Amino acid sequence: MKRSVLFVFFVVVAITALLFSGKFLSHPRNGSASANVSPQHELGPARGTAAPDFALQLLQGKGKSIQLSSLKGKAVIVNFWATYCDPCKVEMPWLAELQKKYGPQGLQILGIVMDDPGEKTIVDFTNKMGVNYPVLVGTDKVADLYGGIEGLPTTFFLDREGKVVDRVLGLEDESLIEASIKKSLGTGDSSSSASAK
Amino acid sequence: MKSLHLFFRAIALLLFVLGVASPQGVDANARVIFDPLNTVTVPMGQSIPVTFTFHIKPGFHVNSHQPTEPELIPTELKFSPPEDLVIAKMRYPAGVLTSFPFDPNTKLSVYSGDIAVKAVVMTAPKATVGNYTVHGELKYQACDNNSCYPPKRLPVQFDVKIGSGVRKGPTARPNAQSPHIHN
Repeated sequence: MKRSVLFVFFVVVAITALLFSGKFLSHPRNGSASANVSPQHELGPARGTAAPDFALQLLQGKGKSIQLSSLKGKAVIVNFWATYCDPCKVEMPWLAELQKKYGPQGLQILGIVMDDPGEKTIVDFTNKMGVNYPVLVGTDKVADLYGGIEGLPTTFFLDREGKVVDRVLGLEDESLIEASIKKSLGTGDSSSSASAK
Repeated sequence: MKSLHLFFRAIALLLFVLGVASPQGVDANARVIFDPLNTVTVPMGQSIPVTFTFHIKPGFHVNSHQPTEPELIPTELKFSPPEDLVIAKMRYPAGVLTSFPFDPNTKLSVYSGDIAVKAVVMTAPKATVGNYTVHGELKYQACDNNSCYPPKRLPVQFDVKIGSGVRKGPTARPNAQSPHIHN
C-alpha cells in the first residue's frame, strides 16, 4: 500500500514538472505568429532588417492602396496611431512639419490608423491635426508583421533601402524624431540612436 | 484499486490547479483589475447599494466616464442582468483633471489608482427567490505617460441571492445567469 502511494506521488510530481515546463516556460506571442521567436521579433522588425512589405488602403482613396515596397529609394516613416491616442495627437503636427521640411530630400511619412471610428471621423481628425502625408487604414495582419502594435504611437524609421534604422514605442521628443529622420535619409549620425525602446 | 482511484483524483486536482493558475486565463495586457464582490443578498422587493472596485495598475491611467475630448473613449461599466434583477443608478467617480508629460498644456479627465463605481441592485417586479450570477464588462482605454493602448473589455461578474422579503416569490430558480458577454 505504502509503495503504491509513493508511486502515485512520484507520477504526480513528474506530470506536474512536465506540465509546468510546457505552460510556464514557453513564451507565447501576441497575435498569430509562431512560438520560439526572440523578444526582438516580438517588438517588430529589428534594426538593420528589411521592413515587412505591405499594401494598405488609402484613407479616402476610393479603393486605392499604397505598397511599402513601391517607395524604395525614399526614406520612409511608418507611424501607427489612433484617434483615441493623445500622445499621437501631439506628434502628428510635428510629423506634418517634418514631412514639409524633409519631403524634398526624399522623406515619405505614412500614417497607419489603427482604430475605426468611421472614415469621416478619421478624416476630420487628420484635418484638425494638419496631416499632409498619406494615411492608410491599418489591419491586424500588418500590425502583426510589425510586432503586434500594442502601444501607440509606434514608429518605424526606414532607410532608402527599406531597412529599419530606428523604431520607437511611444511619443518622443521632436528633435529625436528629426534625428531618426536624418538617419533614414542618410544625412544623420547613424551611430547615435534616438532613444530606442 | 484504491491506489488507482487515488491516482486519478490526484491527476484531476493537479489539472484543476494548473488550469486556475495558468497565465492563459489572465489577460497579460490588462491594465485594470476587478476586485471581486462577495455575494450580494437582496431581499425580495428591495434594493441594495453595491460598490464595484477596480484597480488601475501603477503607471497607467484610463479616461474617466466623461472625458474632456470627443475622441477619447469613456470608461463604462455595463451589465446584462437576468430578468429577475435590475441594476440601476450607476454612479461613476468624477475624473481627475491631469496633465501628462506628453502634453503638459492639456488637462485630461482621467482615473488612476483605485476607482469605485456605485450602483443599486434591486429585484425586478416578477423576480423569484434564488441565486443568480450577473455578468457585465468594464470598457476602458488606458494610457501611460507616453503611449496609449487599445480599448479593452474587462469581464465583471458577481453573485446575487434574492431572499424572501416583503413578498414571497413563487419558486426558486437556482443558478439563473445573465447572458454571457463574449469579446
